[in-house]
Amino acid sequence: MASLSKGWDIQTRVIGALMLRELTTRFGRENIGFLWIMAEPLLFAVLVGLLWRVMKGPLEYGVDIVAFVVSGYIPLVLFRSVIMRAVNSFTANGSLMYHRQIKVLDLILVRFIIELIGHMMAYLAIATALRAFGMFPWPHDIGFLMLGWGYFSLFTLSVALIVAPLSEMSDILEKFIPVTTYLMVPFSGTFFLVGVLSPEAANVVLYSPPVHAMEMMRFGVFGPAIDPHYDFIYPLEFSLPCVAIGLFLCRVVRRRLVVE
Amino acid sequence: MIVCQDIRKSYRAGHGRHEVLKGINLTINKGERVALLGRNGAGKSTLIKQIGGVEMPDSGRIIRQMTSSWPIGFSGGFQGSLTGYDNARFIARIYGRSYAEMREFVEDFTELGGSLKMPVKTYSSGMRARLAFALSLAIEFDCYLIDEVILVGDQNFQRKCHEQLFEKRADRAMVIASHDVHTIRNICNRALLIHNGEGAVYDDVAEAINLYEAL
Repeated sequence: MASLSKGWDIQTRVIGALMLRELTTRFGRENIGFLWIMAEPLLFAVLVGLLWRVMKGPLEYGVDIVAFVVSGYIPLVLFRSVIMRAVNSFTANGSLMYHRQIKVLDLILVRFIIELIGHMMAYLAIATALRAFGMFPWPHDIGFLMLGWGYFSLFTLSVALIVAPLSEMSDILEKFIPVTTYLMVPFSGTFFLVGVLSPEAANVVLYSPPVHAMEMMRFGVFGPAIDPHYDFIYPLEFSLPCVAIGLFLCRVVRRRLVVE
Repeated sequence: MIVCQDIRKSYRAGHGRHEVLKGINLTINKGERVALLGRNGAGKSTLIKQIGGVEMPDSGRIIRQMTSSWPIGFSGGFQGSLTGYDNARFIARIYGRSYAEMREFVEDFTELGGSLKMPVKTYSSGMRARLAFALSLAIEFDCYLIDEVILVGDQNFQRKCHEQLFEKRADRAMVIASHDVHTIRNICNRALLIHNGEGAVYDDVAEAINLYEAL
């Protein structure tokens, strides 16, 4: 047990140090510093929300349109940022491989955790602000909202675990990532509810794990009125094997990694 | 003790692979100072990277029964965009040392003064060497892996290095890759001569140096 707790100590120490390092290199110590991590998702979600408000009026599927867009857009931006930052993250951090207690997995985890915290902070900030204007409901079920975030995060992490090592194996992958994350838009459930689709279309989009997560989050926020469709098992059947494949690929790539 | 068993390492070269190390065997005992000799590109740095665990060999095993530093060189081990202080803070954190002590040692050993507040990428190679040595000496390892940076810089720094490394830490093991035969003759008690990917260990350092100079 001693070695297990020692291992845990090293792990938390390394993750903590890497997070602080990443925050310092990315945001510096000037002005608002690390609060910048929530600036990008916040601006994105607010601007897209306002755009929809102007184009389509105050309501979407019976709920406030800005709240609807924000609740879907922030997880989508999270997915996109995490995947973008996973690309070439090993070579970009090659100098860290000089310290044997740092594993490649830590690099992915740290970037993922930072993005996750930033996007959840942005979500909370916007929801609080909109609530002050009566545009965001008090969550119907906070537990469900968190569960949905959990499923969405697991999916995002599982994809990042595969993308990061693959991007080291082939340069071509990097070129396709932006367009692929863009294609995620219709398969993320961001801009629709499964309940309003035709049964055929609903069957297709439910093959995409983040749609289940998105429906859970929206149920947690807006309640049963949005007619949520989700499954607890299917997203796990997709993500857990992805995690296993990702871990295996990370191991293979670490063996071949050339460090300057 | 650190044991390298039949270490092979190759890198991609065009469509094929270039084999740099073709089965190196080396044992580093406690307190031993091993010189790595070989011409430029012979694979000295490559071997040091495998011993330090920075890269993994294609085949072969490295058994580590004492702690070893990361390869101390002009680059690697620190982040260019961060300041000297930030690098010290990071190293202190991941190795679980107190930053206050680390900071004091680094300030004292490097004598870099205000430059420690500047990003490391603005440093000259002499300044980098000072910082690299200071960071790894502050952690205390059983074995120091030194890649070329030995006895660079000015007289004052050379004297300090000598004092800290060979006098205060005379009981530690060292693996030193260098072309400075004079230093190696004085300091090392064994040598590994790498040529064409093959390695040969000599207990007589003078003999290894003669062979190296004849290459």
